[in-house]
Amino acid sequence: MTPLQIIFLITSVGILGSALMVVTTRNLVHAALWLVVSLFGVAVLYVMLSAAFLAVAQVVIYIGAIAILMIFAIMLTRRVAKDSGPQTNPNWTWAVVVAAALFGGLTWLLSSWNGFSTPIPELSSRADPLSQLGQALVSPNAYVLPFEVASVLLLSALIGAIMVAWDRRSG
Amino acid sequence: MFTGGFDPVNILAILPEISLIVLGLLILGLDLALPEERRGILGWVTAGGLVLIIGLALAISRPGSEPILLWGGMLRHDWLGFAFKIVFLFAAAITALFSMDLFDSGRRGEYFLLLLAATLGMNLMASAADLIMLYLAIETTSIPLYILAGFLTKDDKSTESGFKYFLFGAFTSAVMLYGFSLLYGFGGTTNLYGLSQAFLEGGLSIGAILGSLLLILVGFGFKVSAVPFHFWAPDVYEGSPTPIAGFLSTASKAAGFAVLARVMLAVFPSIAVEWGAIVAALATATMTIGNIIALAQKNIKRLLAYSSIAHAGYALIGIVAISYLGVASTVFYLIAYVITNLLAFGIVALFGRVAGSDDIAAYAGMSRRSPWLALGMMVALLSLSGMPPFGGFVVKFAVFAAAIQAGMVWLAFIGVINSIVALYYYLTILKYVYLYRSEDEDKPLPVSRPYAIGLTVLSLLVILIGTVFAPWFSVASSAAAAIFR
Amino acid sequence: MGDPITLIGKWLENLLYSWGLMPGVVSLIMAVIGVVVIASAVLVLDILLVWVERKVVARFQDRLGPNRVGPFGIIQPIADVIKLLIKEDILPIGADKIVYNLAPIMALGTVLLLWAVLPLSSTVYGTNLNVGVLYIVALGAISTLGIIMAGWASNNKYALLGAFRTVAQMVSYEVPLVIALLVPVILARSMGLTDIVEAQSIWFVFIAPIPALIVLITSIAELGRAPFDLIEAESEIVAGFHIEYTGMKFGLFYAGELLHALTVGGIIATLFLGGWRGPGAETYPILGIFYFFIKALFLYWVIMWIKYSLPRIRIDHMLNFNWKFLTPLSLVILIVMAIVDKIVPKTSMLVYSLVMLFVNVVVGWLTLQLLRRNAKSARMRVAEPKPVARPEPSPTAATSQTSSSSS
Repeated sequence: MTPLQIIFLITSVGILGSALMVVTTRNLVHAALWLVVSLFGVAVLYVMLSAAFLAVAQVVIYIGAIAILMIFAIMLTRRVAKDSGPQTNPNWTWAVVVAAALFGGLTWLLSSWNGFSTPIPELSSRADPLSQLGQALVSPNAYVLPFEVASVLLLSALIGAIMVAWDRRSG
Repeated sequence: MFTGGFDPVNILAILPEISLIVLGLLILGLDLALPEERRGILGWVTAGGLVLIIGLALAISRPGSEPILLWGGMLRHDWLGFAFKIVFLFAAAITALFSMDLFDSGRRGEYFLLLLAATLGMNLMASAADLIMLYLAIETTSIPLYILAGFLTKDDKSTESGFKYFLFGAFTSAVMLYGFSLLYGFGGTTNLYGLSQAFLEGGLSIGAILGSLLLILVGFGFKVSAVPFHFWAPDVYEGSPTPIAGFLSTASKAAGFAVLARVMLAVFPSIAVEWGAIVAALATATMTIGNIIALAQKNIKRLLAYSSIAHAGYALIGIVAISYLGVASTVFYLIAYVITNLLAFGIVALFGRVAGSDDIAAYAGMSRRSPWLALGMMVALLSLSGMPPFGGFVVKFAVFAAAIQAGMVWLAFIGVINSIVALYYYLTILKYVYLYRSEDEDKPLPVSRPYAIGLTVLSLLVILIGTVFAPWFSVASSAAAAIFR
Repeated sequence: MGDPITLIGKWLENLLYSWGLMPGVVSLIMAVIGVVVIASAVLVLDILLVWVERKVVARFQDRLGPNRVGPFGIIQPIADVIKLLIKEDILPIGADKIVYNLAPIMALGTVLLLWAVLPLSSTVYGTNLNVGVLYIVALGAISTLGIIMAGWASNNKYALLGAFRTVAQMVSYEVPLVIALLVPVILARSMGLTDIVEAQSIWFVFIAPIPALIVLITSIAELGRAPFDLIEAESEIVAGFHIEYTGMKFGLFYAGELLHALTVGGIIATLFLGGWRGPGAETYPILGIFYFFIKALFLYWVIMWIKYSLPRIRIDHMLNFNWKFLTPLSLVILIVMAIVDKIVPKTSMLVYSLVMLFVNVVVGWLTLQLLRRNAKSARMRVAEPKPVARPEPSPTAATSQTSSSSS
């Protein structure tokens, strides 16, 4: 095993373990903090793929914005931060069956794929991947259209969020 | 890197979308600038602007006979996308007209802006040729629609329907995105036509491709409300503002079909037999279950929801045929269906607003209250059930013909039986409208001007499709031709 | 001679190779040594900062400050550390033990991590990350998380209020901060801090004074220092998020805050004041370290100067200041400078810089005019005669009036 594989294994175990903690822990704030760990692990995966920009963006967006917002919302509802009810409902056996079937299906699906044995393609060291990414996002021959559509999407989501959350008493 | 000439056709092709954004910003600006009591004109501005955009699109951005990939392979400028674009713009214009009476005050600007944003997303869905573009377009369609479905925040049912739609949509779109990422992993490209190339070259097991296709079908099935992804439809249609329910059941569904047709036929020709079988099963289940549950409905919006599920099943038949005629008949079917269902929902919206009830029983004596409205209702329902001389008959005929041509007589047979079942509940409504009496008979049903315009246009179009169908079918054929090129 | 640190590094590397270690292991050991050296140096410096801070604040308030332990009281912080170490470590009832203990570590750790990308000289830096600027932003986000964790885990209302205020403040001020940080990125064509320093043949503060000012202001807010210290406003919520912490855990927060201030000074120095640049720093990199710390300490002093001169501002004013003033201003200046950057050729650096400076001055002048107009209309509103509230004539009021007039 190469050192990269060892780090990958450790990170993956960390990600999956903390993801499991997210759904099993009874304390909502702890769940959110475990989620942070899980998201951070994903950032580590990006670093291992030499995608530094994605890694840092992952931390800024998912930990810096989304997770903090979640924790904030949870803290505002302090009284229900602890869940004392049962953690499963009567259908959990079916859920297990479906999940296992899905997992098995995906494993089978991916087992026939030869991508696991192909080595990582070397990045060309001459070009800066960051500037390439920037160029791709604004080039009319690449991704400028999705980039602009995303802005429309965000605008409408923003307006919708304000619409939904607006205090009705004041109008 | 990423250099290369910039062809002005790039701009011309997305001119409708650019004008949609401009129109949206205009609405936002007017909403800010106009005094409260004059904001009623926003609906007229939206509808008028959309009609202008349709004219602009027909005049300038018509695609040539040869489809071309634009914007670095993000969009495919062809007749399939274009035909659907016109349908979406038209449906949005009608919805804007129907929505004008929805508010007593405030929030119109946001409403029409979100409507335009959703239309923009649908336009891009219809012509997207890249997984990234496709996913963004689907989200641009869905997110404004989630909010629109829950727009009446003071109404618990509307809020519930918006939230339900959001949860279903988020879940299925996540599954679909997973399918997309698998496709990208297997094919090594995000371009639909590049993927098709990669799959045709082989080297991948059928299971791998089929597995990712199933995941994608979850998302598409949600969009077109095919069984077993249909559960959201009745609840959402019932709770959301009626014009939006109409928009959801027509334009949003048609957009789903545009994507379904393009992705299935363009990306997966290598496993056509397998997915043909799957979609045939979907179509059968969708038709049958939609029609059977519709029989038991007491609320007209729920009934129309199940009927629209059933119609998704009929439209799927054309895709199952996997032929030129099949796609043409599906496109044709959707054109007629969109217009007919908009008419039905328009009348339901108007009636619900005046009579204050969406129960089928409340429609008793409607023909005496407003004969013209009752006539419109009859046109809509008979067309939905597939009676000549209305649009619904011709298109159903086309779809079944495509199935028979593809050697699937059994599917056409199931379709015919389902149409007969459907006839029962459509006629039940008409029975209430024309035969039953009620105490409210002397109360008139005032029809405001936007409704009068919208309903008249729609009724005429329904009859026009049923009688002069050649030009419509030729448009549908060129759309189908664009896929098989 | 000019670069002893690199020489020592080379010597150590050769030594390790001579022991017959594998290249991978050697680079790992060298990295660990580098981390340990930088971290300990910075932490030792941190102890001194306590003394600096106390001396400076004393001078601002016309006092002497610590002057008993050692010459000029310089041993005082060591005594403080000993005091903090031997204090009782209290875990409040109902506190969340793991989160409670993790929070101070995160508060200090994120600050230390910032030093990984700061170029101390042309040869001495942790790493030239190509997304260095974003990395700084990301660590800011994690330090916010640390404060929230402290506020929540303490099981104390004041601490929780402090945490709420932290989120409101830090998340808001991050917006103009990130936008303004993009300006040096545009000027240097890179997000790497080393590249940004190398691009500053003319310090960016002279090319882009307004973004520099915005970064300074928002950084102070991110620090949670006066006048933005609402997260630990003594008169309102006692001490905010770290109210329950005692002993060395409190010490970690305290050290983290001081070090963060110096680090912010270092970041701004790197981005706008040319980092290690100075006369002779190219040939003698050791001079670069000296220049870097001079600049960082100068900015640290500016931050202290602001802290001890300005009163705390009210929370709604603070948020209004951010959303209604800093954010629009930073957006405008970013757009304007990006456009000017496209128009003006970079062939002559002097002309380019002068045009940029001119643009900044124009935007600044327009901003001031706008502010003046707003202030004028606000003054007009205040000056307008208002209907005076007249108390209802009641027997008690009448008696009190007579009694007060009689007395």
